[in-house]
Amino acid sequence: MGTNAQSESFADRAFFETLVQKGSDAIITIDTEDEIQFANEATERVLGHDPEELVGESLTTIMPERFHGAHRTAIETYLETGERTLDWSDIELPAEHADGHEIEVSITFEEYEHEGTKLFSGIIRDISDRKERERQLKQQTEQLERFASAVSHDLRSPLQTAKSTLAVARATDDESALDELDDLFDRMDELIDDVLALATQGQAVDDTESVSLERVARDAWSVAGDDDVTLTVDSARIEADPERLRTLFENLFGNARDHGDADAIRVETLSGGFVVADDGTGLDQVDEDKLFDFGYTKSESGTGIGLNIVETVANAHGWRVEVGESDEGGARFAFHEVESQ
Amino acid sequence: MSAEGDATDAERPVVLAVDDEPRITQSFDIWLDGYEVLTAMSGEEALSAVSDRVDVVLLDRHMPGMSGDEVLEQIRERDVSPRVAMITGVEPDFDIVEMPFDDYVEKPVGPEEVADTVDGLLDRTTYDERIGELETVAGKIALLEDTYTDAELEDHERFTELVERRDRLRREADELLADLDSGEFEQIMSDF
Repeated sequence: MGTNAQSESFADRAFFETLVQKGSDAIITIDTEDEIQFANEATERVLGHDPEELVGESLTTIMPERFHGAHRTAIETYLETGERTLDWSDIELPAEHADGHEIEVSITFEEYEHEGTKLFSGIIRDISDRKERERQLKQQTEQLERFASAVSHDLRSPLQTAKSTLAVARATDDESALDELDDLFDRMDELIDDVLALATQGQAVDDTESVSLERVARDAWSVAGDDDVTLTVDSARIEADPERLRTLFENLFGNARDHGDADAIRVETLSGGFVVADDGTGLDQVDEDKLFDFGYTKSESGTGIGLNIVETVANAHGWRVEVGESDEGGARFAFHEVESQ
Repeated sequence: MSAEGDATDAERPVVLAVDDEPRITQSFDIWLDGYEVLTAMSGEEALSAVSDRVDVVLLDRHMPGMSGDEVLEQIRERDVSPRVAMITGVEPDFDIVEMPFDDYVEKPVGPEEVADTVDGLLDRTTYDERIGELETVAGKIALLEDTYTDAELEDHERFTELVERRDRLRREADELLADLDSGEFEQIMSDF
């Protein structure tokens, strides 16, 4: 049968050699004296060592120094007692690259006899990318937890006020207390809108278009503006999602107007970005590290979500946000387009 | 009028309610029948209102200006010793381990919770100081256990220290309680 001929070619030594040499994982074989007998070509890519030069060295050459002692003990213990100090399958450890930096790898050990000699082979996979994703995921989870706890706080407080206001209304027949209840419900409603906005604004921006900074800013002003405050906008076009850019402006304008006591707000262009600056009280009293945190506010009426939305919109566009003081001592938010690599 | 309502002002326990929402302090006043309730709308007002006469402070955490946490610190530095309960919408985190409050209650609260909190704190003033501390520490542990997973708690040295403190206080309390008569003993232990 034709398949037999094919099987034979796969049993060929050259085939296996290619398989071992060209794989993406480093494969290193040591003897019972911890001396490297073989290293495949991928070793150079993963660990930076020339495989030929590794032969004759100890396996500790590719380990950070703090693991050297444990490694020697582990081999001795295993040879004497057959006891494995580590799981041999897919253990995650840092390895040391030839240039001295540590890389995260997963190692699987195999043990076998070859021409009468006991050998151990390690298959070493670079898992830096996976580790990075794990870290990002962990960070996102933590962010989500903070978000959930901030939302629960922000709803609990007005809920308490509502409960208390109702108790006062019942005890005193005070009609004005009932009107306050209505306002409280509006505030909670607004908070829910903000939270929903934040959840949707965070999605990555797929479709950007060239939009008029002026038109989007004026649109936002029609919602978040005020007759007592003037807005000036440079005319320019930028690449953005117009809906989300409007949300960004609405939040910044609302902040300048309500919390910054600004009389004038300017939207100006930068090379590779734009600036929103005002002549209000500025950001002296705020904690800049917390400025963009969900729920951070110095104000009674604010939900503390506005600037978090601003940052989220900026991140979704890949813009870097720089916070500072405007020439008039007010707040200045600069958005820089980050050059893609 | 309840029986407590007949008590003269001098006999009624004094509660200071602190919250920047006036409706909240007003409702505490309504709910705490039989107590003399003082109110303050800010941290600064709270500090001028707190005195020897005040038995219990109900304290909000997030307030514009001086925060409840700062008020608590300042009360502890003074020569007054009211019991203090934080009544707040802030979910407790590991910061509470070091905060010198006696009790921590999450909003929203109704009439029963407010009255129970105040009564609980007033009862404590009759116990030995260490038993009061035991209640506080046990309360902090319960709060953190409600908020975090076991794995998160194990990771935190401050939590482990808190548990050790509770166990030490418990042993001391056991020794102390061995000297009390059985009626008092049961009354105290029913709180744990």
